[in-house]
Amino acid sequence: MADHRAPVREHADGAADVTAADGADGRRSWRRFDIQWIRRNGVYVALAALIMVNIVITPNFVNVATLRLQLIQVVPVLIVALGMAVVIATKGIDLSVGAVMALAAAVIPLYIGYGAALAILVALLAGALSGAVAGSLVARIGVQPIVATLGLMVAGRGLANLLGGEIKSIRDPGMRALGTGSVLGVPYVVLVAIVVTVLVWFLVARTTLGRQIVAIGGNARASVLAGLPVGRVLLTAYVVCALLAAVAGVLLTARSQASDPTRLGLLMELSAITAVVIGGTPLTGGQIRVAGTVAGALLLQLITATMIAHDIPDSVAQMAQAVIVVGAVYLQLGRRGRR
Amino acid sequence: MSGNTRSRRTVRLLSLTAAGALAFAACTNTGGEDGSGSDTTAAAGEGDAQVVREPTEEPTGTGCTIDSYGNGNVEGVPLAEATVGFSQSEPDTAAFRAAETKSIKDEAKNIGVAELIVTNANGELPKQISDIQDMLNQGVDYLVVAPVNSDGLDPALDAAREKGVPVLTIDRKVTNEHCTDYISFLGSDFYQQGTRAADAMNEVTGGEANVAILRGSSGNNVTEERNAGFVEHAEAEYPGLKIVAEQTANFARDEGQAVTEQLLQSNPEIDAIYAHNDEMGLGAMTAISAAGRAPGQDVKIVSIDGTRNAVQAIVDGRYNVVIESNPRFGPLAFQTLQRFIDGESIREDIVIEDGMYDSSNAEADLSKAF
Repeated sequence: MADHRAPVREHADGAADVTAADGADGRRSWRRFDIQWIRRNGVYVALAALIMVNIVITPNFVNVATLRLQLIQVVPVLIVALGMAVVIATKGIDLSVGAVMALAAAVIPLYIGYGAALAILVALLAGALSGAVAGSLVARIGVQPIVATLGLMVAGRGLANLLGGEIKSIRDPGMRALGTGSVLGVPYVVLVAIVVTVLVWFLVARTTLGRQIVAIGGNARASVLAGLPVGRVLLTAYVVCALLAAVAGVLLTARSQASDPTRLGLLMELSAITAVVIGGTPLTGGQIRVAGTVAGALLLQLITATMIAHDIPDSVAQMAQAVIVVGAVYLQLGRRGRR
Repeated sequence: MSGNTRSRRTVRLLSLTAAGALAFAACTNTGGEDGSGSDTTAAAGEGDAQVVREPTEEPTGTGCTIDSYGNGNVEGVPLAEATVGFSQSEPDTAAFRAAETKSIKDEAKNIGVAELIVTNANGELPKQISDIQDMLNQGVDYLVVAPVNSDGLDPALDAAREKGVPVLTIDRKVTNEHCTDYISFLGSDFYQQGTRAADAMNEVTGGEANVAILRGSSGNNVTEERNAGFVEHAEAEYPGLKIVAEQTANFARDEGQAVTEQLLQSNPEIDAIYAHNDEMGLGAMTAISAAGRAPGQDVKIVSIDGTRNAVQAIVDGRYNVVIESNPRFGPLAFQTLQRFIDGESIREDIVIEDGMYDSSNAEADLSKAF
């Protein structure tokens, strides 16, 4: 039960911190406590603050269409970040997610002639297969996750270019409906993201597999000694991550009604890792925060939207984003006692 | 869409804290040769070859002849016996680059160049330098270079000069010395493409519009010139064209879509989009539809390039104007080399006359699009 572990640890860290800095000054320790609270909830505080700022300064911000657009646009990063969080919880990392998205996109035009459903199925299979390769490299052969997935990142992008090449428009009613349609005002892509979020939450919070994932990330040796099926669990984590990346690739392709294997998902690994980390899941493994990851992805999305709405030049936007994200990550570092 | 916009931005800021991060990004550039060198029949490929714009005033400085070039050690091997190296800058997965590379290959075959070696730098300056040095080691007699960057090719150009291998630059001008480091620059006038886009925008909007600009990659001379041409010309000539937003979408369709969605949402008065290339314009077109407005009608779109998809969109009535940037450098490049070998004087800039597609000619000229 990942979410139960985290507060316990934090409390321990926080207490140690307070004792160290306490001295005679009671008011100071009270402020310390306040900072601890902010640290623990940094991403939610930042998100809430940015929403408030936007409500005040951004024209047309408070309306349903804005909410809808931000939710639509956050979907790919959110889905990829959730998969990434699962892998990071095992103390791993997956740099191949962008390439897997491209691979899924590259596959779609090849099979779209047989209908959208089959094309999507093959795209998801291609993603899962890539995840199985990554997982096998890590779990069976013992390649370091960063190395194994770096290799797949390059090879996967190459394969995607080979299969797809230059950008191709997709004119399929099924894909179009998936990308632009909605039910009761909720876009399909957002529905998919909600379902994925619930499934991932269920996986980590309510299943044995979820507990094993966190246990392995916390202490792999102990997990082996305890008789956990470490190899199988690791393999599953990478398959889940790659499968979700493929889902994101399919949704992006449906949204833009074009398959662009050369560019799709470029640098997505870094966005996803950023969302996971500012959401409070430590890169050191053993913990996973689903709600925090969702908030992290939303925060990144809202930063981008704010910059565009105020027509902030690229150069300034980059620096402003750096300050916001580094600030958020700094607050998160506090939670781990900055070892 | 949003993924990439944010990814791009995120990596830049992450690179502030994690220096190694960009190495991963570099690894993703795996595009390469299209490998289809089999079209032996096509002369100059489909579409129009380039037409040179005659300079309105006498060109400044002197022309360049084979005797005055470089260190004065150019042999002047006839093209029929020569090995020519072509260093392409960016992956051929982009339509412009694919058309450019194909045009060079086709024309080399067409005029019977003994051997053509093609390399692709995948957008990386160091790779282009080593590509060029490799080709020099393989004994090329002439080099055609599409520079990755205006600056920084010096090691490669120095090596070529040492070996007496003349360099012809296409589509991007280098800051080096004319006739010392390169024979000539063949390319479009990007600033003028921008001014023509402003003319077209004035035309299709009737002179009154709130324009959002989708910029290409930052720090790129094409971006800066296409932007300056449009902005300065609009300011001077068309006071009714109000530029209300300028945001980068990195020449990419998905980013063009994501940025336009945000712009239309936060600023619904926007009724015209000027995109620095077709891909971003096509992304804007999708975004406009998604916002429940009619692209080409409610929101006008003007962009630069001349890709088939964009011209087709004009035919479909969902796009307004495309200013062409002709990528078919093959015929002009080899013709210029031939004139150079023949001892003619070659001027520093050979600027191409670019075409234009609008509702009056898009259907008829669709085959010229690349």
